[in-house]
Amino acid sequence: MKRQVDAVRAQRSELENHIIDEYRAGYIGRREFMRRGAVVGMSLPLVGFLASACGTAEEASDSSEGAEANKAEVKKGGVVRSGLQLPGSDLDPIKVNNQGALGTLGQSGEYLIFSDSELKPVPRLAESWKPNRDGSQWTFKIRQGVNFQNGKPMTAEDVAATFNLHADPDNGSNALSAFTGVLSKGGAQAVDESTVVFELDAPNGNFPFSTSSDNYNLIILPKGFDTTTWPKNFQGTGPWKLEKYTPNVGVTYTQNPDYWDKTRQPLPDRNEIKYYEQEEAAILGIQGGEIDLLAQFSAVNGKPLLTDPNVNVIELRAAQHRQLHMRTDKEPFNDKRVRQAVALLINRDNIVKGLIEEKADYGNDSPFAPVYPTTDKSVPQRKQDVEKAKALLAEAGKENLDVELRTWRVFEVPQYAALVQNDLKAAGINVKLNVTDAASYYGDAVYGKSPWLDSTFGITEYGHRGVPNVYLGAPLRSEGTWNSAHFKNKEYDKLASEYVAAVDLQTQRTAAKKLQEMLLDEVPIIFSYFYFYLSATTPTLAGVNVSAMGQVDISQAGQKA
Amino acid sequence: MIFFAAQVLPGDVARRILGPFADQASVDALSRRLGTDRSLFAQYWDWISSFVTGDLGESIRNRPVSDVLGNAIVASGKLALLAFLIVVPLAIVGGVVAAMNEGSFRDRLISVGGLSATAIPEFVWAVFFILIFALGLGLFPTTAQPPGGAGIFTQLEYLLLPALCLVCVLFGYIARMARAGTIEALEADYTRTAILKGMPRRTVIGRHVLRNSLLPTIAVVATQAGYLIGGLVIIEVIFNYQGLGQALFRAATGKDIPVLQSGVLLIGIVYLVATLIADMLYSVLNPRVRLGAAE
Repeated sequence: MKRQVDAVRAQRSELENHIIDEYRAGYIGRREFMRRGAVVGMSLPLVGFLASACGTAEEASDSSEGAEANKAEVKKGGVVRSGLQLPGSDLDPIKVNNQGALGTLGQSGEYLIFSDSELKPVPRLAESWKPNRDGSQWTFKIRQGVNFQNGKPMTAEDVAATFNLHADPDNGSNALSAFTGVLSKGGAQAVDESTVVFELDAPNGNFPFSTSSDNYNLIILPKGFDTTTWPKNFQGTGPWKLEKYTPNVGVTYTQNPDYWDKTRQPLPDRNEIKYYEQEEAAILGIQGGEIDLLAQFSAVNGKPLLTDPNVNVIELRAAQHRQLHMRTDKEPFNDKRVRQAVALLINRDNIVKGLIEEKADYGNDSPFAPVYPTTDKSVPQRKQDVEKAKALLAEAGKENLDVELRTWRVFEVPQYAALVQNDLKAAGINVKLNVTDAASYYGDAVYGKSPWLDSTFGITEYGHRGVPNVYLGAPLRSEGTWNSAHFKNKEYDKLASEYVAAVDLQTQRTAAKKLQEMLLDEVPIIFSYFYFYLSATTPTLAGVNVSAMGQVDISQAGQKA
Repeated sequence: MIFFAAQVLPGDVARRILGPFADQASVDALSRRLGTDRSLFAQYWDWISSFVTGDLGESIRNRPVSDVLGNAIVASGKLALLAFLIVVPLAIVGGVVAAMNEGSFRDRLISVGGLSATAIPEFVWAVFFILIFALGLGLFPTTAQPPGGAGIFTQLEYLLLPALCLVCVLFGYIARMARAGTIEALEADYTRTAILKGMPRRTVIGRHVLRNSLLPTIAVVATQAGYLIGGLVIIEVIFNYQGLGQALFRAATGKDIPVLQSGVLLIGIVYLVATLIADMLYSVLNPRVRLGAAE
């Protein structure tokens, strides 16, 4: 076996060998080895072989429970009816920005990579990928023999065109926030029929995630495609073909007879999507048997589903969270001790156990959610300590404070704000709540014209990402565009760049630890919990594949046999 | 006026479409494409000049306004029609029965019951009906949006619960008007004359009482038409129904001014038409207002 491994090693890049060594030395477990291997572009059979050749048997069966429970023999045929959130925008791939819209894009459209429920990149339209030495250039092999639903073959040219379309600031793509500082227009080039090379703005060890379903606007489209016409034809290479789309109401699909992936030919005859504007209506929809699958619901509104014997809940650990920011450049939070005191006053047990029904992980005041493999779990968890908080406030000479907490009405956020208000009272901090609608809170979303970015104290909701790069950038970097805390720290910027650039796990973990410790000390933002992604199905439906980003794959779903 | 009122709404149109987390460059690009970066007057001129030529324009979401509103008004119309077909005859019969048995138990039941039902907001009725009939008994779907291509009976099944909520809210109001009108007509001289001259009771009620008693009722029913077409935001939200109320609400929150303007205009037209129909019915029932009847 050893000789075979050495033979494999001789042909692998330095980076791949580094990961193999990490695994052999026991720095990373089997599951993480499989994931890291996939990120840097090793094929699944190869990673599988190396995993068993070099590894031990530990943590061989360690995977999400909900996803497991969903795997069962299913009957072919029939219809699967899913309930999705009403798309907040028109279904133009450039503009898509919520669960309902991205969930719809992913039915007839496909990504280079599918970021699955275990944060593992699964090859779809990309067959394989690999970085150069420092991760500043990535080469993707594009799958051949795939046709768009208009009958034309999909080529490397189409892939490069799709990326350059979204990276072009003039097109105003929603994906720009993920591409800023990562990929510029013209950065994707088709070098031959089946190869696309990405020249990045800066080294990036997790770039495959930026090409995956996590960056949900990026379904591959034919070169020169007018994205505003997408709602008419639902162009793409996916397993489902548009039958009828009724804006605001729903979509029906039939099987795409030319679908390329023989292992994932759609099993149901039809796929129906129904949009719900209000979560309550969707929850009633699954309880009343109107839909078989509810793509996403919140623990707060969906309490009835958690205990309903007629509903099967799929639960994925995720990185979605609420950021409680404190302006580091303004009274009273310009004193670090005040920020630490606030973080110490918050009773995280109350939130996780009471408010979220234990459907959340504890946060430790940095974006490194426990679900991320790079998160260093040895950093001590911050817990409520009222006495210490009082002492810090006294030391800072900031007692009997009055602050206004701004946020908006979404899911459990108003209740979270009320808990914060209550917890802070213990140390004589008087919090006045100002809870509005989304439009008033976000304002124009630029500095100076947005309570989100200008308020001294506020709560903002952030969706899931497969890697923490986005959270480490815009809300925390000195020049970040979502920096509500106005946190400006050169040392932090340097560490964040180091983390993003790192291609191997060891370097990432070292940088992560430093970042975690720095943020725990500086506390520009309180991250008190990371809540799970919850979906619900009827008990007889199996084979559903959801991702914490909101992608819904029902191609292998059906009634249990 | 609607145009300028809508400008007061907070936020930028392109920002609203792309969401708060979109890059500023994206927002600027979209603003340019939509033309919302131009001066207010330039935008207003654009709208008013195409409006007078009958072009409703495009929603900021790339769809023709006529398309957005067309579907919504058909949906709203169906719901309103069903509610009307149930509530109008029911409330009139109820009102007349109550009037003819003034002071009796039956009268109290209809008057007090109707009023109580009206006093309960429609969303409470909605929750109540969904809990009992949809979740509890499983007789009806929990939402009102029938699947595409559904036949008329399936559509009825989907629309019945929301329609019943409206019936509960409107019944008391209309029945009360019908009752008051009927009592007044019953006490009128012409009714006494009719009874005294030995006319059968049925004919007296049908020909003399109802004709007069229904006049105020019709006026009331007509004023409810606008509400039923455009004002059902809450019912539409609870039952996940894509009617005009939700379309306008969405347009208002999304600053989709082309849709908002035409939508408000449309509701104005519905009011006008409803009042016109009411006036015509009025003239059928009341010869005194018939044109040329004086000669």
